[in-house]
Amino acid sequence: MKYFTKKLAGLLATLLAVSFLVFAAFAVIPGDPATAMLGTEATESRLEALREELGLNAPLMVRYLRWIKDFLRGDFGNSYRYNMSVMSMIRDKVPVTLTLTAISFALIVLISIPLGVACARYAGGILDHVIVVANQIIMAVPPFFSGILITLVFGLILHLFVPGGYVSWQQDWLSFLGYMIFPSIAIALPKSAMAVKLLRTSILSEMKLDYVRTAYSRGNGTRAVLYRHVLRNALIPVITFLGMALADMVAGSIIVEQVFNIPGLGRILLTSISNRDYPVVQAIIVCIAFLVIVVNFLVDLLYKAVDPRITLE
Amino acid sequence: MKLLRCRSAGWKGAAFRTFGFKSEIVMNRRKNKNFVVGAVLTGVMLLFVLAGAVWTPYDPESMDKTAKLAGISLSHLMGCDNFGRDIFSRVLKGSGTTLLVAAGTVGIGTVCGILVGALTGYFGGLIDEVFMRINDVLFAFPSVLLGLVVISLLGSGNFNVVIALGIAFIPSFARIVRGEFIRCKNMDYVQSARLAGAGHLRVMFIHILPNITTVLLSSVMIGFNNAVLAEAGMSYLGIGTQPPHASLGRMLSDAQTYLFSSPSYALFPGLALIWMVLGFSLLAEGIKEG
Amino acid sequence: MLDVIDLNLEFHDHLIPETVVYDFDLHMEPGEIVGLVGESGSGKSMTALAIAGLLSRHDMQKQGRILFEGEDILTCARSRLRALQGDDIAMIFQEPMTSLNPVLPVGWQVEEALRIHRPQLGREERKRRALQMLADVELEDAERIYRSYPHQLSGGMRQRVMIAAAMICEPKLLIADEPTTALDVTIQHQIVQLLRRINREKKTAILFISHDLSLVRRLCRRVVVMQGGNIVESGDAETIFCRPGADYTRKLIEAIPKCEKGENAPSLNPGDGGDKTLLEVSDIRISFAQERRSLLERRKIRQVLKGISFRVRQGEVLGLVGESGCGKSTLARVILGLNRQDAGSVAHFSDCPQMVFQDPYGSLNPAKKVGWILEEPLRIRGGHTPQERRERALAMLQKVGLGPEIADRYPRQLSGGQRQRVCIGAALMLEPKLLIADEAVSALDVTVQDQILELLLSLKEEMGLSILFISHDMRVVYRMSDRVLVMRDGQIVEQGSAEQVYFAPSHPYTKQLLEAADLGGGG
Repeated sequence: MKYFTKKLAGLLATLLAVSFLVFAAFAVIPGDPATAMLGTEATESRLEALREELGLNAPLMVRYLRWIKDFLRGDFGNSYRYNMSVMSMIRDKVPVTLTLTAISFALIVLISIPLGVACARYAGGILDHVIVVANQIIMAVPPFFSGILITLVFGLILHLFVPGGYVSWQQDWLSFLGYMIFPSIAIALPKSAMAVKLLRTSILSEMKLDYVRTAYSRGNGTRAVLYRHVLRNALIPVITFLGMALADMVAGSIIVEQVFNIPGLGRILLTSISNRDYPVVQAIIVCIAFLVIVVNFLVDLLYKAVDPRITLE
Repeated sequence: MKLLRCRSAGWKGAAFRTFGFKSEIVMNRRKNKNFVVGAVLTGVMLLFVLAGAVWTPYDPESMDKTAKLAGISLSHLMGCDNFGRDIFSRVLKGSGTTLLVAAGTVGIGTVCGILVGALTGYFGGLIDEVFMRINDVLFAFPSVLLGLVVISLLGSGNFNVVIALGIAFIPSFARIVRGEFIRCKNMDYVQSARLAGAGHLRVMFIHILPNITTVLLSSVMIGFNNAVLAEAGMSYLGIGTQPPHASLGRMLSDAQTYLFSSPSYALFPGLALIWMVLGFSLLAEGIKEG
Repeated sequence: MLDVIDLNLEFHDHLIPETVVYDFDLHMEPGEIVGLVGESGSGKSMTALAIAGLLSRHDMQKQGRILFEGEDILTCARSRLRALQGDDIAMIFQEPMTSLNPVLPVGWQVEEALRIHRPQLGREERKRRALQMLADVELEDAERIYRSYPHQLSGGMRQRVMIAAAMICEPKLLIADEPTTALDVTIQHQIVQLLRRINREKKTAILFISHDLSLVRRLCRRVVVMQGGNIVESGDAETIFCRPGADYTRKLIEAIPKCEKGENAPSLNPGDGGDKTLLEVSDIRISFAQERRSLLERRKIRQVLKGISFRVRQGEVLGLVGESGCGKSTLARVILGLNRQDAGSVAHFSDCPQMVFQDPYGSLNPAKKVGWILEEPLRIRGGHTPQERRERALAMLQKVGLGPEIADRYPRQLSGGQRQRVCIGAALMLEPKLLIADEAVSALDVTVQDQILELLLSLKEEMGLSILFISHDMRVVYRMSDRVLVMRDGQIVEQGSAEQVYFAPSHPYTKQLLEAADLGGGG
């Protein structure tokens, strides 16, 4: 419980720091939003009036507090480009990206844990050799290229899905999920390869430790030693990895959405970046960062559940 | 030598030999293979890129209307793109750009990472605490995302990509270096150096640094690996190298439109990318285990 | 009960097969305690693992027979072997911390053998037996220990837990591989008592493997001495001790420091140093703040040193003896300025005192050659040409009994004894007057230990050194010291001349230490 409160306090502090950094970065660098909204021909007095209206003349701290207050109420401001609220622009997109990430994550766990265990169990055998070599190559394939290959093979040649034929989840959630499978595979492949490799190495190095010898000395067979004693210890570094991979996967999904033509957060982020539509960029970045931080928090809790040695640093 | 053998066959040896399936032996035999394969891949890639910097079969930016989406032939080894530009030449040039950006990124990441990591790890205390907080915050951003933020603030272009990714890479390097310094600073040999009168800087850079070169080298290689991937990802998204200059990521994004009619357009830049990444990751692996 | 006949063990994972055990024979009766003694690399642990059936079958060539009640452990079916392991043959190991699974509760691990070999028992019955067993190995509050994790227990408690887990099925043979080596001397004493009691009450035969001859003598009737994979001598413990037949055994016995009156280091010659003080430590106090358990709780302060005062006179060896956690290493660090004290003062009356550390593997920079390491202090001080530095380094190598070719080697290419010699050499390069040796020989084999002690004593005479000799080992301290300080919980409980402290101790703790170390047995 104390662990939980301390971690929770850390979580809140990090969230505040991140939101402030993002806010400050966008408040200081990109020039004048008023100009961006009214165009360069606008008169100085109109610009000044708009600045006053937007509250841009207040000190940074005051603007930050105002922004964070709005943010907590779900008001992310208005887009410069399209005269609509950021909230209404991203509301539909968040579930899309989340689904993509969640399916990929599930795939990673489902693929990597059995394969990693099998590799370690039969280390040195043919299966292990094949998987180790395949792993090394798969890790080197960037998700957008594997996405292109998947489109080519499964979409254009085998006709298992229609490339670009995205169906939104409001229309038909089953076809939506069906369409999401292949992008998820593209995201999950390299990460699964890394997880398999990590788990394999982790199990093999745990197997050399003294407690394994003790377990054998009590009459355990290899299988019992592996599943009852080693696996739990060996999963500890894998959990860390999966937590960090999740952050990367959100970024990976931005790119893969582009490959498969999925209108998720990534798409809107890219258009907003090229349009210099800062409130949208800011809101999306903060949302992703929050998501990542919360996931890390959950990983910390999971960690504590698996490894009793973890205490407050 | 006899003595050494005995020691290596002592306790540690005993531990794994009791273990029910063979493992360590396999791992040991594989390690040098990783290094050799990685070195060969990277070496060949460097040769091609260097050659490409001096001479390419065609001007990578000159268009030839007659050769639009031409297939593989003796005159165009990898075919041509939708503007009739020679893909082989563009792959050579594009790999060069990717490598340069990666080198810049890793350069910034390593130098800053070593400085920050060494100072915080060695001295600990308040600087360390502050740094770790900042690190946590930066770590929350995937590097491509951080790159996107910086790009959206500074504008596109290769130089900005280097800056953006460089900054994004500092935390991970710093974290590794910091960990190594923490591990080493309490070792007895560091204490003896202090007793012999060595100053902090001497201890940090003459006594400790040589002991972490293996870790550093392998993380530099992993850094290259990640930087190549990140650069390709960003140029795929249209940030970074601007047309008409060649870049692997941009070529892949262009090739997607012609995926069915001309798969080789996408295939070769992708393979070049895999080649580079594979080389670096195998090198990292080989260094770490060797 | 146990018959090992012509056991040969050979590794095949290198290009050249390497034999680690040659023609090993052993016969054990039920309820007997047999000691297996040897230094590191003698093959004693390999033999033990082979008897316990714990050597993997892949990369080892095994010849001979290990008959346990008529069954050959080397050739019997795997399932049969597993049925024996944990039920009839149990084993405990040197490092109780790493030998217990860190993520599983202690109770689960104690019960494990029951779960495997007595599946008919219910959960309640298993727990009852486990609690009973924990109480049997003299652990208080068995209920709490049952629920805790290994990292929450002390070293001695962990070893008791290991013993409980091994004894839960009441095995006929308990193999104990260096079970007390990682423990403090008083705890060591208790564990040995416990093993003896278990042997007496449960009639369990014990194969006790150790490097420590005097310990084996206390526990075992019969002893087997091994060296380099061979049995050099075996027989009745007392006979071997008093009239060793083999040269090697004699060497081992002689290497044990004697603790008889007048057997310790030649006391200082009052003529050359007089009463000049080299180091004066007065009323050193130091405390560390412990981690708060909640935000509301006040920080607990743990006092590590509670007012330590003493002097080191020129030309003397001052022994500082104490168990782990008593603050002796912190004290050394404070004296050398590596740790800051909260109160008190350290006054040095000589230049740059140096230190020799315990772990010869960690105290030499692995990235540098020995020559570089030896020259480094001169390089830092400056004022020498590279030529001079090299010459001085080579001269120092000779002084510590190493050849000049060592200068071009890396530390990892040296043996433990050689490394410790290099460490001493590096510490002496600046010609300090005071040398602090913190457990400097604790990690070494007993014969090597003897040589290093000899070297320190002769260097002391040659260079006019004073040594603050810190150790947990009562015998070694006696051998080295003119005067002795006994430390406990951050305080000095007794001090005086070595003879006085060892033969007329006044403080009960000193008496306890002396009894646990069983000094008479070594003589």
